[in-house]
Amino acid sequence: MTDNQYKKRKKSFFNLHFTTTISVALVLFMVGLISFLFIFTKEMTDYAKENIGFSVVLKDDCSNKELQRLKKYLENVNFVKSFTYISKEQALIDHVADLGEDPTSFLGYNPLQASIEVKLHANHTDSAGIAEAKNKLSVFSSVQEVVYQEDIVHLLNNNVKRLSIIFGGITLILLFISIALINNTIRITVYSDRFIINTMKLVGARAWFIRKPFIRKNLLDGFWAALLALVMLAGIIYYVQSEIGDTFNLYQLHIWLPVIAIVFTISFVIIFFAALFGVNRFLRLKTDDLYYI
Amino acid sequence: MKKLIDYHNVDIQQQELVVLRDVDFELKQGEFVYLLGKVGSGKSSLLKSFYAEVPIKKGEAKIFDYDLRTIKRKDIPFLRRKIGIIFQDFQLLGDRTVQENLEFVLKATGWKDKRKIAEQIDLVLSNVGMAKKGYKRPHQLSGGEQQRVVIARALLNSPELIIADEPTGNLDPQTGRGIVELLYAICKGGTSVIMATHNHTFFEMFPGRVVSCTDQELVEGDSCFEE
Repeated sequence: MTDNQYKKRKKSFFNLHFTTTISVALVLFMVGLISFLFIFTKEMTDYAKENIGFSVVLKDDCSNKELQRLKKYLENVNFVKSFTYISKEQALIDHVADLGEDPTSFLGYNPLQASIEVKLHANHTDSAGIAEAKNKLSVFSSVQEVVYQEDIVHLLNNNVKRLSIIFGGITLILLFISIALINNTIRITVYSDRFIINTMKLVGARAWFIRKPFIRKNLLDGFWAALLALVMLAGIIYYVQSEIGDTFNLYQLHIWLPVIAIVFTISFVIIFFAALFGVNRFLRLKTDDLYYI
Repeated sequence: MKKLIDYHNVDIQQQELVVLRDVDFELKQGEFVYLLGKVGSGKSSLLKSFYAEVPIKKGEAKIFDYDLRTIKRKDIPFLRRKIGIIFQDFQLLGDRTVQENLEFVLKATGWKDKRKIAEQIDLVLSNVGMAKKGYKRPHQLSGGEQQRVVIARALLNSPELIIADEPTGNLDPQTGRGIVELLYAICKGGTSVIMATHNHTFFEMFPGRVVSCTDQELVEGDSCFEE
Protein backbone atom coordinates (compact mmCIF):
# COMPACT_ATOMS: atom_id res chain seq x y z
CA MET A 1 0.00 0.00 0.00
CA THR A 2 1.41 3.39 -0.89
CA ASP A 3 1.73 6.12 1.74
CA ASN A 4 -1.14 8.00 0.17
CA GLN A 5 -3.46 5.00 0.18
CA TYR A 6 -2.48 4.19 3.72
CA LYS A 7 -3.32 7.74 4.79
CA LYS A 8 -6.65 7.59 2.96
CA ARG A 9 -7.56 4.31 4.63
CA LYS A 10 -6.53 5.60 8.04
CA LYS A 11 -8.55 8.75 7.46
CA SER A 12 -11.77 6.96 6.48
CA PHE A 13 -11.38 4.51 9.37
CA PHE A 14 -10.80 7.43 11.71
CA ASN A 15 -13.80 9.31 10.29
CA LEU A 16 -16.27 6.45 10.81
CA HIS A 17 -15.13 5.78 14.35
CA PHE A 18 -14.79 9.46 15.14
CA THR A 19 -18.36 10.21 14.00
CA THR A 20 -19.77 7.25 15.95
CA THR A 21 -17.83 8.18 19.05
CA ILE A 22 -18.91 11.83 18.91
CA SER A 23 -22.59 10.94 18.37
CA VAL A 24 -22.60 8.50 21.26
CA ALA A 25 -20.60 10.91 23.43
CA LEU A 26 -23.19 13.68 22.94
CA VAL A 27 -26.01 11.39 24.04
CA LEU A 28 -23.97 10.19 27.01
CA PHE A 29 -23.21 13.79 27.93
CA MET A 30 -26.97 14.39 28.26
CA VAL A 31 -27.30 11.25 30.33
CA GLY A 32 -24.38 12.35 32.52
CA LEU A 33 -25.79 15.84 32.98
CA ILE A 34 -29.22 14.57 34.04
CA SER A 35 -27.66 12.01 36.39
CA PHE A 36 -25.52 14.71 37.89
CA LEU A 37 -28.53 17.02 38.38
CA PHE A 38 -30.53 14.13 39.84
CA ILE A 39 -27.86 13.21 42.37
CA PHE A 40 -27.11 16.86 43.12
CA THR A 41 -30.82 17.60 43.76
CA LYS A 42 -31.03 14.62 46.09
CA GLU A 43 -27.94 15.91 47.86
CA MET A 44 -29.51 19.37 48.24
CA THR A 45 -32.87 18.10 49.53
CA ASP A 46 -31.13 15.74 51.95
CA TYR A 47 -29.12 18.71 53.15
CA ALA A 48 -32.32 20.74 53.62
CA LYS A 49 -34.20 17.88 55.28
CA GLU A 50 -31.40 17.07 57.66
CA ASN A 51 -31.29 20.71 58.72
CA ILE A 52 -34.94 21.01 59.64
CA GLY A 53 -34.85 18.85 62.75
CA PHE A 54 -37.01 19.34 65.82
CA SER A 55 -36.74 20.42 69.42
CA VAL A 56 -37.11 18.07 72.35
CA VAL A 57 -38.21 20.36 75.19
CA LEU A 58 -37.11 19.07 78.58
CA LYS A 59 -38.96 19.43 81.82
CA ASP A 60 -37.53 21.83 84.34
CA ASP A 61 -37.10 19.08 86.87
CA CYS A 62 -35.13 16.89 84.52
CA SER A 63 -32.26 15.39 86.49
CA ASN A 64 -28.76 15.14 85.15
CA LYS A 65 -28.99 11.36 85.22
CA GLU A 66 -32.09 11.39 83.05
CA LEU A 67 -30.50 13.88 80.69
CA GLN A 68 -27.48 11.57 80.29
CA ARG A 69 -29.83 8.64 79.61
CA LEU A 70 -31.60 10.62 76.89
CA LYS A 71 -28.32 11.73 75.35
CA LYS A 72 -27.06 8.16 75.34
CA TYR A 73 -30.27 7.06 73.60
CA LEU A 74 -29.93 9.78 70.94
CA GLU A 75 -26.32 8.81 70.32
CA ASN A 76 -27.22 5.21 69.61
CA VAL A 77 -30.57 5.36 67.85
CA ASN A 78 -30.37 4.96 64.05
CA PHE A 79 -32.57 7.81 62.85
CA VAL A 80 -30.68 10.65 64.56
CA LYS A 81 -27.98 12.29 62.51
CA SER A 82 -26.86 14.79 65.15
CA PHE A 83 -28.16 16.58 68.20
CA THR A 84 -27.23 19.60 70.33
CA TYR A 85 -28.12 20.08 73.96
CA ILE A 86 -29.19 23.63 74.80
CA SER A 87 -29.24 24.24 78.54
CA LYS A 88 -31.61 26.64 80.25
CA GLU A 89 -28.80 29.18 80.56
CA GLN A 90 -27.69 28.80 76.95
CA ALA A 91 -31.31 29.24 75.83
CA LEU A 92 -31.47 32.52 77.73
CA ILE A 93 -28.21 33.76 76.16
CA ASP A 94 -29.52 32.84 72.68
CA HIS A 95 -32.84 34.53 73.42
CA VAL A 96 -31.16 37.74 74.56
CA ALA A 97 -28.90 37.65 71.50
CA ASP A 98 -31.92 37.17 69.19
CA LEU A 99 -34.43 39.58 70.74
CA GLY A 100 -32.24 42.02 72.64
CA GLU A 101 -34.26 41.87 75.90
CA ASP A 102 -33.74 39.81 78.99
CA PRO A 103 -36.96 38.20 80.35
CA THR A 104 -35.35 37.68 83.79
CA SER A 105 -35.27 41.49 84.27
CA PHE A 106 -39.10 41.73 84.34
CA LEU A 107 -40.11 38.19 85.33
CA GLY A 108 -37.47 37.66 87.95
CA TYR A 109 -36.73 34.16 86.74
CA ASN A 110 -35.65 32.35 83.56
CA PRO A 111 -38.83 31.11 81.83
CA LEU A 112 -36.98 29.25 79.08
CA GLN A 113 -36.60 25.52 79.18
CA ALA A 114 -33.64 23.31 78.35
CA SER A 115 -34.00 21.48 75.06
CA ILE A 116 -32.25 19.22 72.65
CA GLU A 117 -32.14 20.15 68.93
CA VAL A 118 -32.34 16.87 67.03
CA LYS A 119 -31.51 16.49 63.34
CA LEU A 120 -32.68 13.36 61.57
CA HIS A 121 -31.14 11.33 58.76
CA ALA A 122 -32.68 12.32 55.41
CA ASN A 123 -34.31 8.91 54.91
CA HIS A 124 -36.19 9.40 58.16
CA THR A 125 -37.67 12.81 57.45
CA ASP A 126 -40.98 11.73 55.93
CA SER A 127 -44.14 12.14 58.03
CA ALA A 128 -44.09 8.55 59.28
CA GLY A 129 -40.42 8.75 60.21
CA ILE A 130 -40.88 11.97 62.11
CA ALA A 131 -43.96 10.65 63.88
CA GLU A 132 -42.02 7.55 64.90
CA ALA A 133 -39.15 9.66 66.26
CA LYS A 134 -41.63 11.86 68.08
CA ASN A 135 -43.36 8.88 69.71
CA LYS A 136 -40.12 7.27 70.76
CA LEU A 137 -38.84 10.46 72.38
CA SER A 138 -42.15 11.37 74.07
CA VAL A 139 -42.01 8.27 76.27
CA PHE A 140 -39.02 9.65 78.16
CA SER A 141 -40.29 11.03 81.45
CA SER A 142 -37.93 13.99 81.26
CA VAL A 143 -39.37 15.13 77.93
CA GLN A 144 -42.13 17.70 78.15
CA GLU A 145 -42.91 17.92 74.46
CA VAL A 146 -41.47 17.37 71.01
CA VAL A 147 -41.84 20.38 68.72
CA TYR A 148 -41.22 20.28 65.02
CA GLN A 149 -42.07 22.54 62.12
CA GLU A 150 -44.68 20.32 60.55
CA ASP A 151 -45.63 22.73 57.76
CA ILE A 152 -42.10 23.11 56.44
CA VAL A 153 -41.53 19.37 56.61
CA HIS A 154 -44.73 18.68 54.69
CA LEU A 155 -43.98 21.35 52.14
CA LEU A 156 -40.49 20.04 51.59
CA ASN A 157 -41.64 16.45 51.37
CA ASN A 158 -44.36 17.32 48.86
CA ASN A 159 -41.99 19.33 46.71
CA VAL A 160 -39.38 16.62 46.78
CA LYS A 161 -42.00 14.07 45.74
CA ARG A 162 -43.15 16.26 42.84
CA LEU A 163 -39.58 16.95 41.80
CA SER A 164 -38.73 13.25 41.92
CA ILE A 165 -41.66 12.41 39.64
CA ILE A 166 -40.65 15.10 37.14
CA PHE A 167 -37.01 14.03 37.27
CA GLY A 168 -37.99 10.37 36.96
CA GLY A 169 -40.07 11.19 33.88
CA ILE A 170 -37.27 13.17 32.26
CA THR A 171 -34.79 10.41 33.03
CA LEU A 172 -37.07 7.80 31.49
CA ILE A 173 -37.61 9.86 28.32
CA LEU A 174 -33.90 10.52 28.12
CA LEU A 175 -33.16 6.84 28.49
CA PHE A 176 -35.48 6.07 25.58
CA ILE A 177 -33.86 8.79 23.49
CA SER A 178 -30.37 7.51 24.27
CA ILE A 179 -31.31 3.94 23.48
CA ALA A 180 -32.84 5.03 20.17
CA LEU A 181 -29.94 7.28 19.17
CA ILE A 182 -27.09 5.01 20.23
CA ASN A 183 -28.85 2.01 18.74
CA ASN A 184 -29.23 3.83 15.42
CA THR A 185 -25.63 4.94 15.34
CA ILE A 186 -24.31 1.47 16.09
CA ARG A 187 -26.67 -0.15 13.60
CA ILE A 188 -25.43 2.13 10.85
CA THR A 189 -21.83 1.07 11.49
CA VAL A 190 -22.89 -2.59 11.46
CA TYR A 191 -25.02 -2.02 8.34
CA SER A 192 -21.98 -0.66 6.52
CA ASP A 193 -20.35 -4.05 7.09
CA ARG A 194 -23.33 -6.21 6.12
CA PHE A 195 -21.65 -7.82 3.13
CA ILE A 196 -18.57 -8.57 5.18
CA ILE A 197 -20.76 -10.28 7.80
CA ASN A 198 -22.39 -12.29 5.04
CA THR A 199 -19.05 -13.37 3.60
CA MET A 200 -17.83 -14.41 7.03
CA LYS A 201 -20.91 -16.57 7.33
CA LEU A 202 -20.36 -18.15 3.92
CA VAL A 203 -16.81 -19.23 4.70
CA GLY A 204 -17.95 -21.19 7.75
CA ALA A 205 -17.46 -18.79 10.68
CA ARG A 206 -19.73 -19.41 13.65
CA ALA A 207 -22.11 -16.70 14.80
CA TRP A 208 -20.11 -15.74 17.90
CA PHE A 209 -16.87 -15.60 15.98
CA ILE A 210 -18.47 -13.03 13.67
CA ARG A 211 -20.19 -11.08 16.44
CA LYS A 212 -17.18 -10.77 18.75
CA PRO A 213 -15.03 -8.30 16.77
CA PHE A 214 -18.04 -6.07 16.03
CA ILE A 215 -19.06 -5.95 19.67
CA ARG A 216 -15.48 -5.42 20.82
CA LYS A 217 -14.89 -2.61 18.31
CA ASN A 218 -18.11 -0.83 19.27
CA LEU A 219 -17.53 -1.25 22.99
CA LEU A 220 -14.14 0.39 22.54
CA ASP A 221 -15.81 3.31 20.76
CA GLY A 222 -18.31 3.37 23.62
CA PHE A 223 -15.49 3.60 26.15
CA TRP A 224 -14.00 6.65 24.42
CA ALA A 225 -17.46 8.17 24.02
CA ALA A 226 -18.17 7.79 27.75
CA LEU A 227 -14.79 9.31 28.59
CA LEU A 228 -15.41 12.22 26.23
CA ALA A 229 -18.89 12.77 27.69
CA LEU A 230 -17.46 12.90 31.21
CA VAL A 231 -14.77 15.37 30.16
CA MET A 232 -17.48 17.62 28.67
CA LEU A 233 -19.52 17.27 31.85
CA ALA A 234 -16.50 18.09 33.99
CA GLY A 235 -16.00 21.22 31.88
CA ILE A 236 -19.60 22.35 32.50
CA ILE A 237 -19.39 21.58 36.23
CA TYR A 238 -16.09 23.45 36.47
CA TYR A 239 -17.81 26.49 34.98
CA VAL A 240 -20.84 26.19 37.29
CA GLN A 241 -18.62 25.78 40.34
CA SER A 242 -16.66 28.90 39.45
CA GLU A 243 -19.99 30.77 39.13
CA ILE A 244 -21.58 29.61 42.40
CA GLY A 245 -18.39 29.95 44.43
CA ASP A 246 -18.09 28.10 47.74
CA THR A 247 -21.84 27.74 48.43
CA PHE A 248 -21.77 24.09 47.53
CA ASN A 249 -18.89 21.81 46.64
CA LEU A 250 -19.61 20.08 43.33
CA TYR A 251 -16.34 18.14 43.28
CA GLN A 252 -17.48 15.46 45.67
CA LEU A 253 -16.57 11.87 44.98
CA HIS A 254 -19.93 10.52 46.12
CA ILE A 255 -21.68 12.65 43.47
CA TRP A 256 -19.20 11.86 40.71
CA LEU A 257 -18.78 8.13 41.25
CA PRO A 258 -22.44 7.26 40.51
CA VAL A 259 -22.41 9.62 37.49
CA ILE A 260 -19.29 7.94 36.10
CA ALA A 261 -20.80 4.51 36.77
CA ILE A 262 -24.12 5.46 35.09
CA VAL A 263 -22.46 6.92 31.97
CA PHE A 264 -20.18 3.90 31.46
CA THR A 265 -22.92 1.37 32.23
CA ILE A 266 -25.45 3.00 29.89
CA SER A 267 -22.83 3.25 27.16
CA PHE A 268 -21.69 -0.37 27.43
CA VAL A 269 -25.13 -1.93 27.92
CA ILE A 270 -26.82 -0.10 25.04
CA ILE A 271 -23.86 -0.55 22.69
CA PHE A 272 -23.52 -4.23 23.53
CA PHE A 273 -27.13 -4.99 22.75
CA ALA A 274 -27.27 -2.68 19.72
CA ALA A 275 -24.21 -4.36 18.20
CA LEU A 276 -25.47 -7.82 19.14
CA PHE A 277 -28.92 -7.34 17.59
CA GLY A 278 -27.44 -5.41 14.64
CA VAL A 279 -25.08 -8.26 13.71
CA ASN A 280 -27.73 -10.89 14.45
CA ARG A 281 -30.03 -9.31 11.93
CA PHE A 282 -27.48 -9.76 9.14
CA LEU A 283 -26.51 -13.21 10.35
CA ARG A 284 -30.07 -14.34 9.74
CA LEU A 285 -30.35 -12.90 6.23
CA LYS A 286 -29.48 -14.82 3.08
CA THR A 287 -27.15 -13.19 0.56
CA ASP A 288 -30.04 -12.30 -1.76
CA ASP A 289 -31.99 -10.64 1.04
CA LEU A 290 -29.14 -8.20 1.63
CA TYR A 291 -30.10 -6.46 -1.60
CA TYR A 292 -33.67 -5.86 -0.41
CA ILE A 293 -32.85 -3.87 2.74
CA MET B 1 -16.87 -45.19 -3.00
CA LYS B 2 -18.20 -42.79 -0.39
CA LYS B 3 -21.20 -40.67 -1.39
CA LEU B 4 -20.77 -37.02 -0.53
CA ILE B 5 -24.03 -35.70 -1.95
CA ASP B 6 -27.28 -37.61 -2.28
CA TYR B 7 -30.32 -35.78 -3.73
CA HIS B 8 -33.65 -37.49 -4.49
CA ASN B 9 -36.69 -35.71 -5.96
CA VAL B 10 -35.43 -32.39 -4.71
CA ASP B 11 -37.03 -29.13 -5.84
CA ILE B 12 -34.69 -26.16 -5.91
CA GLN B 13 -36.42 -22.88 -5.27
CA GLN B 14 -35.19 -19.35 -5.70
CA GLN B 15 -37.41 -17.24 -3.49
CA GLU B 16 -40.85 -18.72 -4.32
CA LEU B 17 -39.95 -19.78 -7.84
CA VAL B 18 -39.03 -23.41 -8.55
CA VAL B 19 -35.95 -23.37 -10.81
CA LEU B 20 -35.20 -27.10 -10.83
CA ARG B 21 -37.71 -29.93 -10.33
CA ASP B 22 -37.22 -33.49 -9.06
CA VAL B 23 -33.46 -33.32 -8.95
CA ASP B 24 -31.73 -36.69 -8.54
CA PHE B 25 -28.04 -36.24 -8.04
CA GLU B 26 -25.26 -38.19 -6.42
CA LEU B 27 -21.67 -37.20 -6.02
CA LYS B 28 -18.94 -39.65 -5.09
CA GLN B 29 -15.58 -38.97 -3.57
CA GLY B 30 -12.92 -37.93 -6.10
CA GLU B 31 -15.37 -37.10 -8.92
CA PHE B 32 -14.89 -34.09 -11.18
CA VAL B 33 -18.29 -32.81 -12.30
CA TYR B 34 -19.03 -30.10 -14.82
CA LEU B 35 -22.37 -28.40 -14.25
CA LEU B 36 -23.64 -26.84 -17.45
CA GLY B 37 -26.64 -24.74 -18.21
CA LYS B 38 -27.74 -21.44 -19.63
CA VAL B 39 -27.84 -18.25 -17.64
CA GLY B 40 -30.69 -18.48 -15.15
CA SER B 41 -31.11 -22.24 -15.54
CA GLY B 42 -30.58 -22.84 -11.82
CA LYS B 43 -26.89 -23.83 -11.69
CA SER B 44 -26.01 -21.34 -8.97
CA SER B 45 -29.15 -22.12 -6.98
CA LEU B 46 -28.32 -25.83 -7.06
CA LEU B 47 -24.77 -25.12 -5.88
CA LYS B 48 -26.04 -22.78 -3.17
CA SER B 49 -28.40 -25.47 -1.93
CA PHE B 50 -25.35 -27.70 -1.28
CA TYR B 51 -24.06 -25.26 1.34
CA ALA B 52 -27.49 -24.42 2.79
CA GLU B 53 -27.66 -20.93 1.34
CA VAL B 54 -30.79 -21.90 -0.61
CA PRO B 55 -33.21 -23.86 1.57
CA ILE B 56 -34.70 -27.12 0.33
CA LYS B 57 -38.39 -27.62 0.90
CA LYS B 58 -39.13 -30.82 -1.04
CA GLY B 59 -37.33 -34.11 -1.51
CA GLU B 60 -34.47 -35.89 0.21
CA ALA B 61 -31.23 -33.96 0.35
CA LYS B 62 -28.14 -35.21 2.15
CA ILE B 63 -24.61 -33.85 2.05
CA PHE B 64 -21.88 -35.48 4.10
CA ASP B 65 -23.85 -36.51 7.18
CA TYR B 66 -26.17 -33.51 7.13
CA ASP B 67 -29.80 -33.60 6.12
CA LEU B 68 -30.36 -30.29 4.32
CA ARG B 69 -34.10 -30.39 5.01
CA THR B 70 -33.61 -30.41 8.77
CA ILE B 71 -30.17 -28.85 9.27
CA LYS B 72 -30.04 -26.46 12.25
CA ARG B 73 -28.69 -22.98 11.81
CA LYS B 74 -25.89 -23.62 14.27
CA ASP B 75 -24.69 -26.62 12.24
CA ILE B 76 -24.42 -24.70 8.96
CA PRO B 77 -20.93 -23.27 9.72
CA PHE B 78 -19.63 -26.80 10.29
CA LEU B 79 -21.09 -27.99 6.98
CA ARG B 80 -19.50 -25.04 5.18
CA ARG B 81 -16.11 -25.85 6.66
CA LYS B 82 -16.17 -29.23 4.91
CA ILE B 83 -16.71 -27.56 1.56
CA GLY B 84 -14.31 -25.27 -0.25
CA ILE B 85 -16.53 -22.74 -1.99
CA ILE B 86 -15.34 -20.71 -4.96
CA PHE B 87 -17.94 -17.98 -5.32
CA GLN B 88 -18.88 -16.45 -8.64
CA ASP B 89 -18.67 -13.01 -7.04
CA PHE B 90 -15.51 -13.82 -5.03
CA GLN B 91 -16.91 -12.88 -1.58
CA LEU B 92 -13.57 -11.62 -0.33
CA LEU B 93 -13.48 -9.41 2.74
CA GLY B 94 -12.80 -6.01 1.19
CA ASP B 95 -11.71 -4.40 4.43
CA ARG B 96 -8.52 -6.45 4.81
CA THR B 97 -5.55 -7.85 2.89
CA VAL B 98 -5.40 -11.21 1.15
CA GLN B 99 -3.28 -12.54 4.00
CA GLU B 100 -5.85 -11.35 6.56
CA ASN B 101 -8.71 -12.78 4.49
CA LEU B 102 -7.16 -16.22 4.67
CA GLU B 103 -6.19 -15.74 8.29
CA PHE B 104 -9.82 -14.99 9.15
CA VAL B 105 -10.97 -18.30 7.66
CA LEU B 106 -8.33 -20.27 9.52
CA LYS B 107 -9.04 -18.57 12.84
CA ALA B 108 -12.78 -18.96 12.32
CA THR B 109 -12.28 -22.67 11.80
CA GLY B 110 -10.29 -23.14 14.96
CA TRP B 111 -6.65 -22.62 14.00
CA LYS B 112 -4.69 -21.09 16.90
CA ASP B 113 -0.96 -21.48 16.23
CA LYS B 114 0.26 -18.33 14.44
CA ARG B 115 3.22 -20.08 12.84
CA LYS B 116 1.05 -22.87 11.41
CA ILE B 117 -1.46 -20.31 10.15
CA ALA B 118 1.28 -18.40 8.32
CA GLU B 119 2.67 -21.62 6.86
CA GLN B 120 -0.73 -22.79 5.63
CA ILE B 121 -1.44 -19.40 4.03
CA ASP B 122 1.95 -19.44 2.27
CA LEU B 123 1.25 -22.95 1.06
CA VAL B 124 -2.16 -22.28 -0.47
CA LEU B 125 -1.08 -18.95 -1.96
CA SER B 126 1.88 -20.55 -3.66
CA ASN B 127 -0.42 -23.36 -4.87
CA VAL B 128 -2.38 -20.80 -6.86
CA GLY B 129 0.70 -18.75 -7.84
CA MET B 130 -0.09 -15.79 -5.59
CA ALA B 131 2.71 -16.24 -3.08
CA LYS B 132 3.90 -12.65 -3.31
CA LYS B 133 0.50 -10.92 -3.27
CA GLY B 134 -0.58 -11.59 0.31
CA TYR B 135 -0.15 -7.96 1.38
CA LYS B 136 -2.62 -6.60 -1.20
CA ARG B 137 -6.24 -5.82 -0.64
CA PRO B 138 -8.80 -7.53 -2.92
CA HIS B 139 -9.63 -4.34 -4.83
CA GLN B 140 -5.98 -3.95 -5.79
CA LEU B 141 -6.01 -7.29 -7.58
CA SER B 142 -7.26 -8.15 -11.07
CA GLY B 143 -10.32 -10.42 -11.48
CA GLY B 144 -8.09 -13.42 -12.23
CA GLU B 145 -5.95 -12.76 -9.20
CA GLN B 146 -8.99 -12.40 -6.94
CA GLN B 147 -10.33 -15.66 -8.35
CA ARG B 148 -7.08 -17.38 -7.46
CA VAL B 149 -7.22 -15.97 -3.93
CA VAL B 150 -10.74 -17.38 -3.62
CA ILE B 151 -9.46 -20.77 -4.75
CA ALA B 152 -6.61 -20.51 -2.23
CA ARG B 153 -9.18 -19.76 0.46
CA ALA B 154 -11.25 -22.78 -0.58
CA LEU B 155 -8.17 -24.99 -0.21
CA LEU B 156 -7.22 -23.79 3.29
CA ASN B 157 -8.92 -26.54 5.27
CA SER B 158 -8.22 -29.31 2.72
CA PRO B 159 -11.94 -29.85 2.05
CA GLU B 160 -13.40 -33.10 0.74
CA LEU B 161 -15.53 -31.17 -1.73
CA ILE B 162 -14.94 -28.05 -3.78
CA ILE B 163 -17.86 -26.16 -5.26
CA ALA B 164 -16.87 -23.70 -7.96
CA ASP B 165 -19.49 -21.40 -9.41
CA GLU B 166 -18.21 -20.23 -12.79
CA PRO B 167 -14.66 -19.79 -11.57
CA THR B 168 -13.50 -18.84 -15.03
CA GLY B 169 -16.34 -16.50 -15.91
CA ASN B 170 -14.32 -13.31 -15.51
CA LEU B 171 -11.07 -14.59 -16.90
CA ASP B 172 -9.25 -14.66 -20.20
CA PRO B 173 -9.11 -18.17 -21.78
CA GLN B 174 -5.54 -18.80 -20.78
CA THR B 175 -5.95 -17.86 -17.12
CA GLY B 176 -9.27 -19.72 -17.05
CA ARG B 177 -7.60 -22.85 -18.35
CA GLY B 178 -4.91 -22.47 -15.69
CA ILE B 179 -7.56 -22.40 -13.01
CA VAL B 180 -9.41 -25.46 -14.28
CA GLU B 181 -6.08 -27.25 -14.53
CA LEU B 182 -5.46 -26.37 -10.90
CA LEU B 183 -8.88 -27.66 -9.82
CA TYR B 184 -8.34 -30.80 -11.87
CA ALA B 185 -5.02 -31.40 -10.14
CA ILE B 186 -6.68 -30.93 -6.74
CA CYS B 187 -9.35 -33.44 -7.76
CA LYS B 188 -6.69 -35.98 -8.65
CA GLY B 189 -5.59 -35.72 -5.01
CA GLY B 190 -8.97 -37.19 -3.92
CA THR B 191 -11.09 -34.05 -3.51
CA SER B 192 -14.43 -33.97 -5.34
CA VAL B 193 -15.05 -30.93 -7.49
CA ILE B 194 -18.31 -29.54 -8.89
CA MET B 195 -17.75 -26.73 -11.32
CA ALA B 196 -20.43 -24.66 -12.99
CA THR B 197 -19.28 -23.33 -16.32
CA HIS B 198 -20.38 -22.13 -19.75
CA ASN B 199 -17.15 -23.13 -21.36
CA HIS B 200 -17.51 -26.41 -23.26
CA THR B 201 -13.88 -26.68 -24.26
CA PHE B 202 -12.78 -27.50 -20.74
CA PHE B 203 -14.16 -31.00 -20.63
CA GLU B 204 -12.39 -31.91 -23.78
CA MET B 205 -9.08 -30.93 -22.18
CA PHE B 206 -9.93 -32.17 -18.69
CA PRO B 207 -12.43 -34.99 -18.96
CA GLY B 208 -15.02 -35.44 -16.23
CA ARG B 209 -18.66 -36.18 -15.58
CA VAL B 210 -21.08 -33.69 -17.11
CA VAL B 211 -24.52 -32.74 -15.82
CA SER B 212 -26.76 -30.02 -17.23
CA CYS B 213 -29.63 -27.87 -16.13
CA THR B 214 -32.25 -27.68 -18.88
CA ASP B 215 -35.97 -26.99 -18.78
CA GLN B 216 -36.05 -27.01 -15.00
CA GLU B 217 -34.41 -30.41 -14.87
CA LEU B 218 -30.99 -31.73 -14.00
CA VAL B 219 -29.84 -34.32 -16.52
CA GLU B 220 -26.67 -36.33 -17.04
CA GLY B 221 -24.63 -35.34 -20.08
CA ASP B 222 -24.22 -32.18 -22.06
CA SER B 223 -27.76 -31.43 -23.14
CA CYS B 224 -26.95 -27.77 -23.69
CA PHE B 225 -24.30 -28.69 -26.20
CA GLU B 226 -26.63 -30.98 -28.13
CA GLU B 227 -29.22 -28.28 -28.62
